[in-house]
Amino acid sequence: MRFMRRRSDFPRTADAALAAFGIGLRQAFAAWPVLMGRALFYLVVMAILAALWDKVTAAHLPGTLAAHLPEGALTLYVGVTEWITLSVSAIHLRLEDDIRSGALEPQLLRPKPYLAQRISESLGGAAARLIVLAIAGIALLVLSGRPQPPLLAFMYVAVLGVLGCAIGVLLFTFAGLSAFWIRRVLPPYLIVQKLTFLLGGLFAPISLYPRWLFRFALATPFAAHTFFAGVQIIAPSERFFFFGIGLEVLWIIALSALIALLWRRGLARLLREGSP
Amino acid sequence: MPVVSVRDLRKTYRYARRRRGLRGLLTGAFAPEIQQVEAVKAISFEIEAGERVAIIGPNGAGKSTTLKILSGILEPSSGEARVLGLVPWRERIRLAYRIGVVFGQRTQLWPELSARDSFALLRRVYDQETEAFASRLAHLSGRFGLAEFIDQPVQRLSLGQRMRCEIVASLLHAPELLFLDEPTIGLDITAKAIIRDVIREQAREEGETVVLTSHDTRDIELVCDRVIVINDGRIVVDEPTEQLRRQFLARKLVTLRSAAPAIALSLPGVTRRESEPHTSMFDVDTRVARVEEVISKALAQGGIEDITIEDPPMEEVVREIYAATK
Amino acid sequence: MSALTVYAASIAHAIRTSLRDRTNFLLQALGMVLNDGFFLVLWFLFFAGFREVGGWGRSDVALLLGIIMIVVAISGVFFGGYRDMAATILKGELDSLLTQPKWVLPRLIARESIPSAWGDLVVGLILLSTTAHLAIVQLPLALIALVCGLTVYVASGTLYASLAFWFAGARSFARDLTDFMLLFSSYPGSIYSGATRVIAYSILPAGFVVLTPVKLLRTPDAETLALAISASTIYFTLAVCAFHFGLRRYRRGDVNASLA
Repeated sequence: MRFMRRRSDFPRTADAALAAFGIGLRQAFAAWPVLMGRALFYLVVMAILAALWDKVTAAHLPGTLAAHLPEGALTLYVGVTEWITLSVSAIHLRLEDDIRSGALEPQLLRPKPYLAQRISESLGGAAARLIVLAIAGIALLVLSGRPQPPLLAFMYVAVLGVLGCAIGVLLFTFAGLSAFWIRRVLPPYLIVQKLTFLLGGLFAPISLYPRWLFRFALATPFAAHTFFAGVQIIAPSERFFFFGIGLEVLWIIALSALIALLWRRGLARLLREGSP
Repeated sequence: MPVVSVRDLRKTYRYARRRRGLRGLLTGAFAPEIQQVEAVKAISFEIEAGERVAIIGPNGAGKSTTLKILSGILEPSSGEARVLGLVPWRERIRLAYRIGVVFGQRTQLWPELSARDSFALLRRVYDQETEAFASRLAHLSGRFGLAEFIDQPVQRLSLGQRMRCEIVASLLHAPELLFLDEPTIGLDITAKAIIRDVIREQAREEGETVVLTSHDTRDIELVCDRVIVINDGRIVVDEPTEQLRRQFLARKLVTLRSAAPAIALSLPGVTRRESEPHTSMFDVDTRVARVEEVISKALAQGGIEDITIEDPPMEEVVREIYAATK
Repeated sequence: MSALTVYAASIAHAIRTSLRDRTNFLLQALGMVLNDGFFLVLWFLFFAGFREVGGWGRSDVALLLGIIMIVVAISGVFFGGYRDMAATILKGELDSLLTQPKWVLPRLIARESIPSAWGDLVVGLILLSTTAHLAIVQLPLALIALVCGLTVYVASGTLYASLAFWFAGARSFARDLTDFMLLFSSYPGSIYSGATRVIAYSILPAGFVVLTPVKLLRTPDAETLALAISASTIYFTLAVCAFHFGLRRYRRGDVNASLA
């Protein structure tokens, strides 16, 4: 019995990618102890950073950046940025493993593009974490008795945060693809992580930097990863929301193109020279 | 038209030799020393539709390289190859729809989810119609006996159960050609037997062409009707299994451990091998002598503590084949 | 051979093993130096923008970070087995140690020496000798403070790992708890209040690993010294007891080990 195989085209590829997304989502929920561990880590980190930032903003020390910040603002900000960064899946480790152990090869024998499938799967896993950590974060917010930001802020954060998380996955994919050329992806991964701290404003909004540095950071994908979503919880702004969406979409396109290029070169190398 | 046709295929690997230490790391980055290894040295063969072929050889012989070239994940340095009428490394995606692959040591299933979930994803990867897929899955599931564990998380299955799922996964899209790389590795005897039987029956029923690599000679004997031996990058033997069996595999290795320093045995077709004291090893040519007779003669001498009967190791068989064909 | 010489021999062996692959060792140590350096840059930026937090200035946080880095460094180099002890227990690797005529716990702790810890040592020493504003005359007190902090740190790591004798999930949870303790120990103590303060002085004892040592060096008095010493004694005792009871369970066969 032979099947009528429909020719591969974009809708088919998208359907397979969607299936991969579903698998990633279900896998993450199936491994729920790991998910709970991640939520616990989020809560512990938030407990510490909340303590730090509340202390700082409560003091309102004149001549410092805290002089004019609303109380509790920085804590909310970090709550959002940590929500995003802790949801990003370790796709760089997956890629390193597949590429260096040769497990990539059987995957290449499937009729759908490997990288698109992997990224979709990672996004599925990230979606599971985004959901669980959002619940944890909101529960913490409610229990803490803090003044709540307006609902609109949450909506802006949700949209920008999801897109920002996708950018994070793409950045880690970039790091992971280095496995075609170097033995361990840890150094590129750590560089991405540090740049997220510095230019994405993981701990504090980059708007606190001197003007020139702020402008520079704003133009990097790291700001798109965390800052745009985070800043909305402190100061929701429709204008900045659309600005953020625009930049995030642009970065998703640009990073995808770069990744596709890197992948092609890596794959060509693999086909020529065999597994590393 | 043959399903697989290979002509003058060559593959040379170039790699930078890694030097040790920090100095090596730096010089390796800027002035690498390139070494060349010729993995495949001009091989040619054809496989017709419905054939079940084993490609074997010692590690590093070039058989993995050959398989990788045929499946499209490696480019040859020179030469031609066509699989199902397509050039594998140029039309990899098109070829992917028509071949199935099982890598014994690598899984294509998702560990935390059930096999059924993995199959559902594969349905969409291979663009299959829901109904036709469902009936095919039911058919294969029945044939491979998956019903009792198809809904359990894959990581909880035994290796034998997992391998059956892997093979079903590779058959769901009804491929015309099946590549099996060490499909029974690590399995116990019962599981191996099941896998071999179903592969053979499946291939016979559906007319699939099978290309198998394995270190287990029983895999070859029970599944394949033709054997290609690759050694040192070249084909040294290309014969029907029966013929190969008659010539090279009709041998058993009998090892006896005894209280006495050695067991004396003199039978036609039985040659003693060098071994340690209290251990006696005999090569038994099963066309001439019977293993039963060897054992009973040994037992008659008394003081036997342990008896092992094995097939000669694959490496030895191939070495012998290569020596015989020099 | 006394227990101390046995230990010294074991850890010397572990250190030699970690040094064997020179390239890997240097990469790990250097990597940690860069990693620590980066976080120091972040703190530098913090103080440039915020000047102080709850009375803690830049030199105070430098002292804190210097202490925790040296604690982690010495733990990693000389007591490195603490980090993956839970995994060792659950993999059933205790069996070979149990058949030997020496105490198990020291052998477990001396099993491994972590290369990246040397990087922490370098940065910690630089911090303590420069930005932390410590006087030479404080050296003896600093040593006492470090020993106390180190004891609590390794003892807590052992306590977490001992959970493995009771439940298999401890394999990753023990490592998580150690990371949480480290996290709590990397921030100025003035931020902790209420629930976080209770946690920091009990189950994730950052309070005794760094905060009491810092207090000892900034405002030394007999009370703080007594607190530091008694805390380290208590945690040490708790760790040894927990491990001892856990090992008894293991010997009875009640532990679900060898779950690789």
